[in-house]
Amino acid sequence: MKSVIAMTAPLVDSLAFGEATSLGVAVGIGVAFGWTLERAGLGNARKLVGQFYLTDLTVFKVMFSAVVTAMLGAFWLARLGVLDLERVYIPETWLLPQLAGGLLFGIGFALAALCPGTSCVAAATGRLDGLATVAGMLAGVWITGALIGVLSPLYDATGRGTFTLPNALGVPYGVVVFAVVLMALGGFRFAEWIEARR
Amino acid sequence: MDRGPAITRSRRLLAATALILGGLAAAVGRPAPAAIDVAGLAQEITAEADHVDAIVLANWIRNRRQGLRVVDVRTRAEFDEFHLPTAESAPLEAIAALRPSSAETVVLYSAGGAHAAQAWVLLRALGHRNVFFLAGGLEEWTAEVLTPVIPDDPDLAATMPWSRIVDLSLYFGGTPTRAAEDPHGTRWHRSIDFEGGRTAPDQRPARRWRRGC
Repeated sequence: MKSVIAMTAPLVDSLAFGEATSLGVAVGIGVAFGWTLERAGLGNARKLVGQFYLTDLTVFKVMFSAVVTAMLGAFWLARLGVLDLERVYIPETWLLPQLAGGLLFGIGFALAALCPGTSCVAAATGRLDGLATVAGMLAGVWITGALIGVLSPLYDATGRGTFTLPNALGVPYGVVVFAVVLMALGGFRFAEWIEARR
Repeated sequence: MDRGPAITRSRRLLAATALILGGLAAAVGRPAPAAIDVAGLAQEITAEADHVDAIVLANWIRNRRQGLRVVDVRTRAEFDEFHLPTAESAPLEAIAALRPSSAETVVLYSAGGAHAAQAWVLLRALGHRNVFFLAGGLEEWTAEVLTPVIPDDPDLAATMPWSRIVDLSLYFGGTPTRAAEDPHGTRWHRSIDFEGGRTAPDQRPARRWRRGC
């Protein structure tokens, strides 16, 4: 039993891929992700900016659909013993740097009307604003890397470890899953109601 | 071409699927089967991967091992009277409320070791992974960290890094003595891996880069 779980944990571990194969799989997943974003129309900054003017809530609907799909998939794969949730990396909480980074990210998102994933899609489909955003993003990464020594007091401040909703709320995992599904379905209906008003 | 009804139908289908899977999740509760993996736990116990030695724990505490949580499962009164440095109190009846995160390494201890071992089983049954217990309890801590006895026999002395043990003992305010001064003679019969490499493999996920959308 235990060896089965250990073998089937994260996909890359379970198939004992080498680094090259893992990178190949990552590229495949990345292409599929970009394909899906483009099919949803999210390579277009005009479509994304509709989110901020509440005229087109496609971003909300696509992203929340992805959250619900991934959540149900992770829960049931774990339940069926295919995925070991203990070994799935949960990003840690760092209050101050994440608030600062989130604010900066939000400003950039609103200005460019593209986020990192969608800017790559926009660039790949030949949109010049997408190329400019990708260039800006890479410049931002490079500048942050160059200044990491100066930034490290902020970067490492207010670490709070990993948080999950079931742990924070003291509610069974499955109940949180159900609540998020209900939130999503209610949110979709509300989003379409807002869109229909225009 | 009007694809309206087809889209509505597939959306209804997807929404119903999500509702059903979500509802079933709420009924099931846990993302992993609730049954304890008895064979797996027994294997870990046989391989002695369930506990740490007092010297290893002392080394971890001194080195401020990242994510280490030392947990005293004795009663609150006993905890208040004496407890290990950096330890927190979680009496056995409240052990379910401990909820360690996956990034933390928990070391449980009790007076002799039995209650800590039972707490280990309970936490493992709740699905927590990086949990160990101090096999000999506070008695082992007192004997090996606070009052270690260094043998005079040069052959025996060569088998252990005594200077590190003395160093560690002094760090925790202990009083290491030489075997000649100790009426009970030496108590050391085994080798020690300071980093706990054998008894406690480091299973913490490495801190990886943070990801965006």
